[in-house]
Amino acid sequence: MSRLEIYSPEGLRLDGRRWNELRRFECSINTHSHAADGSSYLEQGNNKVITLVKGPQEPSSRSQVDTAKALLRISVNITKFSKTERSKTSHKNERRVLEMQTALVRTFNKNVMLNVYPRTLINIEVHVLQQDGGIMGSLINGITLALIDAGIAMYDYISGVSVGLYDTTPLLDTNSLEENAMSTVTLGVVGKTEKLSLLLVEDKIPLDRLENVLAIGIAGTHRIRDLMDKELRKRAEKRVANALSR
Amino acid sequence: MAKDIEISTSEAQFILEALKQNGRLDGRSFDQFRDVEISFGREYGDVTVKMGNTKVQCRISCQIAQPYEDRPFEGLFLISTESSPMAGPQFENGNNTGEDEVLCARIIEKAVRRSGALDVEGLCIVAGSKCWAVRADVHFLDCDGGFIDASCVAVMTALLHFKKPDISVLGDRVTVHPVDEREPVSLGILHIPICVTFSFFNPQDTEENIKGDSNSEIAIIDATLKEELLRDGTLTVTLNKNREVVQVSKAGGLPMDALSLMENCHKAYTITERLTEQILDVIKKDDAERNKYATLLSSENARET
Amino acid sequence: MSTLIFPGDQLNIDSEQPTTLGPGLYFDPVTQEIGPTNAGVEVIANTKRGQTVYVDYDSKRYIPAVGDYVIGIIVGQFSDSYKVSLSSFSSSVTLSYMAFPNASKKNKPTLKVGDLVYARVCAAEKELEAEIECLDSTTGQDAGFGLLEGGIVIDVTLGFARHLLFDKDFPLLKILSSFTQFEVAIGVNGKIWVKCEEVKNTLACYRSIIDCQKTSVSEYKNTIKSHFKNIVDAAGGK
Repeated sequence: MSRLEIYSPEGLRLDGRRWNELRRFECSINTHSHAADGSSYLEQGNNKVITLVKGPQEPSSRSQVDTAKALLRISVNITKFSKTERSKTSHKNERRVLEMQTALVRTFNKNVMLNVYPRTLINIEVHVLQQDGGIMGSLINGITLALIDAGIAMYDYISGVSVGLYDTTPLLDTNSLEENAMSTVTLGVVGKTEKLSLLLVEDKIPLDRLENVLAIGIAGTHRIRDLMDKELRKRAEKRVANALSR
Repeated sequence: MAKDIEISTSEAQFILEALKQNGRLDGRSFDQFRDVEISFGREYGDVTVKMGNTKVQCRISCQIAQPYEDRPFEGLFLISTESSPMAGPQFENGNNTGEDEVLCARIIEKAVRRSGALDVEGLCIVAGSKCWAVRADVHFLDCDGGFIDASCVAVMTALLHFKKPDISVLGDRVTVHPVDEREPVSLGILHIPICVTFSFFNPQDTEENIKGDSNSEIAIIDATLKEELLRDGTLTVTLNKNREVVQVSKAGGLPMDALSLMENCHKAYTITERLTEQILDVIKKDDAERNKYATLLSSENARET
Repeated sequence: MSTLIFPGDQLNIDSEQPTTLGPGLYFDPVTQEIGPTNAGVEVIANTKRGQTVYVDYDSKRYIPAVGDYVIGIIVGQFSDSYKVSLSSFSSSVTLSYMAFPNASKKNKPTLKVGDLVYARVCAAEKELEAEIECLDSTTGQDAGFGLLEGGIVIDVTLGFARHLLFDKDFPLLKILSSFTQFEVAIGVNGKIWVKCEEVKNTLACYRSIIDCQKTSVSEYKNTIKSHFKNIVDAAGGK
């Protein structure tokens, strides 16, 4: 096996990007208009994620009723075929997945205006069809899009991305090869602010480099927010045009 | 958690109002970590950590096992954190899938095991067939907040304190020497991660937090149980003495300004430095206590210098 | 004279006299003997009609008994009553909408979930959910019960709360009042509610009461003094 060069002296990464470039980002909303109240399909590099939002609906059991606000539930389904090698276990109930779900719920709890939907349940299903690093960021982006499609009140976009640190260079939007080779930071940023809703660091990073990494990450999430915004506006304009032509 | 501890709105409002005026219920300042008391059991690797009313015990044990096929040169290391009703009625027996329990277990796992605090290659006996399997069992004995911080200190102190029996390998034959026959050997610890948890409170409404520029969110270190129940968000930073961020977990909650999060990380570093000193100090003292007769048994003569 | 007794001990009473039994005692219907069921201090008081005996024992979990003054948190709301919790992880009690002064079908109380109430236990059958009321049911008048606004609740042991409420010579509140003005409500379910004008004084009261639980009565003054001094120091240090 030839030695992989994560970041060449010329400043190119494995897939030909420069340090501050995002992967291909394509998204669409209202992909499952029949099955769910809001839906989105997102491709961030080789990550492919389908998100379905169902609700606000009546909770299936009485224990889920909160008289003050809606209950947000997120289930993440990482398919067995999402990686190059088919995994033997379904990842359901793995601690790692449970942690992801909790982190997502807590991220969106503060951003969705749950208090306007008392006594209801908002159920979000995320299906990961293909994964290639930085999956947490893609999940956040997918959920934001689907929630907006579902017409659920929220304060602002939340966009997520992961940033790696190779020696002293931060690399934006890491793929799985890069993720395995170095430490990465995942961020979830609220709108165009510098407020972090989610911040996960899973491997060693020098404390004094962290600020740098966060700065490039925030810039990346702002870019992703713009890309999502562009797609949503394009869609919305089509809908408005349809409505007017009637 | 089974059933929640009930807190009235009056109390919630009061605690927030007190925080706005720079006061906490127990009289600590925002950046003050509770005093950590570390005590040892009779055997190696039995540590109890007390922080205020929070009490956590960690016990290390080891046995010989077969290494994983894909990692023949590495020993096994497992951390088990199970909460039981012993720590408080809010915990259920055998149900460790609650949000807080999962997050707590994952953070300790990432802080200690994934960060390579224990040298697993040093646990290898015969490559591919025999290795030591080290197990850290964390028990929560009493709950008054700060489980993650206390458990991390407990696990690291216990790992530093633990000694495994000495072995000798002759070809394929492995001899384990009982502790009374040969001095047991310490584990290889590569660095000491320390967790510091911040709790965030929002003194204003949600709109101001998301849209405003005031950044007036309050961050306190090492919350007690009541503060934990009322907090809007949490951040756990794990650092070691080499100024390395081992793990950071801010799983949602109140959105916080990136700069103030960085500030928190720097605050955490001073606490990390202090706690690391303290851990090394108690280990040294305990070692001296256990070996106080070593000089009597030695046949070495005092030498004039 | 007070002696410490344990379950199974003999009582030091004059068995000839007519005796009224209080909490912590059991009268065996077969052997016709009286014995203690809880560990605590035996209290014998002579009255006109003989003697009363009870065991003054301390515990942490409250079991409702008729006539007790309690502090509860409203945890639920139904069409004609509130669900009130007297201590976490205990079964809740009911507070009827009609158990308020001047209540009628039209005039309903306006408490919300999460509010604190001061009330009196009016029914406590072991087969049924206990009931509390916010008025003096003999007169139907207001008796100082109802919503507790603001302030902080301190969890104490039941014995400590009873001392604070019933023992007129218990010095804690007197000493506290020499440092600050405060409102207080004491529930025998082990909850004390305090509120001062200023937050820092409430904080000092909170810390004082918690610490006084662990110290002897003679130390109270010093403990409280140090807490109030700390508060002033903290304010001055800023």
